[in-house]
Amino acid sequence: MPSIPAADPFSHYAPIGVLLLMAAAFGLGNLLLTSIIGPSRHGKIKGMVYESGMNPIGSAKRRFNVRFYIVAMSFLVFDVEIVFLYPWAITFPSLAPDSELAPWFLGRMLFFVLTTLIAYAYAWRKGVFRYD
Amino acid sequence: MTHMLDKIVTLWPEVALLVGACVCLAVGLSPRAGTRLLCAWVAGLSLVAAGGLLAFGVGQADQGLAAAAGTGMTGFVKAAIVGVGLLLLLVAASVPSELERDAPGGLVDGDGKFDPGSVMRGEFFAFFLFSLAGAMLCAGANDLVWLFLALELTSLPTYVLVATSRDRADAQESAVKYFFLGAMAAAVFLYGFTLIYGSTGLTNFDAIRAYVAAFADSGEPLAPLLRTGLILAILGVSFKIAAVPMHFYAADVYQGAATPVTAMLAFVPKTAGFVSLILLLSLVQPAGAEATRAVTWLLCLMAALTMTVGNVLGLLQHNVKRVLAYSSIAHSGYILVGLVGFTEAGSTALGNGTAAVLFYLVAYGLATVGAFAVLGCIGSRGDEAQTYDDLAGLGRRHPVLGAAMLISVLSLLGLPPMIGFIGKIYLFGSAIDRGYTLLVIIAVLNSAVSAVYYLRIAAACYFRDPAAETVSLAVPWRRAGAVLAAISALVLGVAGGRLVDAAHVATAGQAQAVAHVSSVAP
Repeated sequence: MPSIPAADPFSHYAPIGVLLLMAAAFGLGNLLLTSIIGPSRHGKIKGMVYESGMNPIGSAKRRFNVRFYIVAMSFLVFDVEIVFLYPWAITFPSLAPDSELAPWFLGRMLFFVLTTLIAYAYAWRKGVFRYD
Repeated sequence: MTHMLDKIVTLWPEVALLVGACVCLAVGLSPRAGTRLLCAWVAGLSLVAAGGLLAFGVGQADQGLAAAAGTGMTGFVKAAIVGVGLLLLLVAASVPSELERDAPGGLVDGDGKFDPGSVMRGEFFAFFLFSLAGAMLCAGANDLVWLFLALELTSLPTYVLVATSRDRADAQESAVKYFFLGAMAAAVFLYGFTLIYGSTGLTNFDAIRAYVAAFADSGEPLAPLLRTGLILAILGVSFKIAAVPMHFYAADVYQGAATPVTAMLAFVPKTAGFVSLILLLSLVQPAGAEATRAVTWLLCLMAALTMTVGNVLGLLQHNVKRVLAYSSIAHSGYILVGLVGFTEAGSTALGNGTAAVLFYLVAYGLATVGAFAVLGCIGSRGDEAQTYDDLAGLGRRHPVLGAAMLISVLSLLGLPPMIGFIGKIYLFGSAIDRGYTLLVIIAVLNSAVSAVYYLRIAAACYFRDPAAETVSLAVPWRRAGAVLAAISALVLGVAGGRLVDAAHVATAGQAQAVAHVSSVAP
């Protein structure tokens, strides 16, 4: 159990102060550093929305079809769910061969995959992947 | 691994709700309209299943609230959530049908076939069940991470419910406000949780209580970092219960959502919030009154400000939904009064603040659900009834609805023999018992002020001529929900002693729990 000396109450707030300082310094520091170190050369081509690809057509500040956002969101959901499989896959083989934990480890991951499948079926039926 | 098994065994009622939610999602996408209508029944069945499991003693674990405030309390709160949840389901069951009726293109795509993308029925009931499951999980939480996830599971579905409950820009606006402010509140209490973890190195509630008890035994004051974390967590959770300083969203959000969803907003997140508050306060309870003075002062200040702000602003409103929103804020203030003396476990029912809080949550839930349900049963000019004028003459036109509204507002006001009266007696009695007389005087004065707007609602129903443009909607289930809520508020008010006894028995283990924690402390 970690112990904190209570002699000087003020010192207890030091971690919060340090955190606030770090947060402020990180934000302000980055702004300052980019304006000081970063080269700034302006030009017509440089100022274009998309520098190296196609020529931009119209403004980027227009309304996009909502399906782009839906695809992006469902990608994020399934992407993050796949990421959860990795730590499990690393840990599972390190269990003892006939460990009684194994069914629980497997069962929990199977349950997790099941919830993912339900979400996938739902998204499919809802027409998220239809693109016409 | 038995540790993990023990946890799962306590969660079967929540599992019933989650399974029900998944089935709702699937059933709600069926191409046959008749099958889609089954969603409400699936939701009702899973709630009944959860209630049945609770009645057979499953899920009444000695963790979470039970460990924090007394044996049986987890089960009590879960049962209350399931009970009021069933009422809320009755009230809200026809919301998807109203949406579908108003849908501009119908539920078909260009080819005249059923378009699953346009139907909201399954999602509505699924999110409803998810939110209730989250509130129930809060009651069983014994870990900071668990509590955070449960609180978010309670809140996130409500944002969607607000946005989709009405086909109007108001609903979208209030949902966006609710979402962003809710995210900010979550950040605040999460920061508080990290500070609690940072100062103790623990996330398990029992372990934190033992740690605090060990600190208190060694005569050292409460670590300021822990105190800061706790205060931040309390301020963050005050968003869920709509208490000052995080109360400002309530009126806008309650007004924007469809009235049945508003009824849910007024009960479910608030219950989850108060449960979390009790759990968080129980963490520092072993430190004693002296070490937690700052927290007590904060609670006193929040209670006094919340009820005053709620009642004064409630007086200024013309929209009944906003009035009830401010009444909901004011009631958070009253309930906070029951928590101010949390360090002292009361010996009598009157002295037991946690039991009073628990009981009052049920009392408040029944009355407020009743009031919103009656409001949801009438329409005006093609929209929902919202103003005092829309309520005019309700008692003469629809005697049953009028009576339900009368009982609900009188119960909120705290008039005998309604349940709100007994609730307030116990709430304020516990605070007097602990010596917070000034706070109780403020609370009683506030109750008197609130009479103005509650009686204004009652007077509109009974002493004014019926408004010509008001119509009663064909929503039999909602009407049944309103009447049931009002009857419960009346019957439980008359026979409230038994319920109070239950709440008292639920918290009777409090003193032993504290003693137990002190004894296991290293």
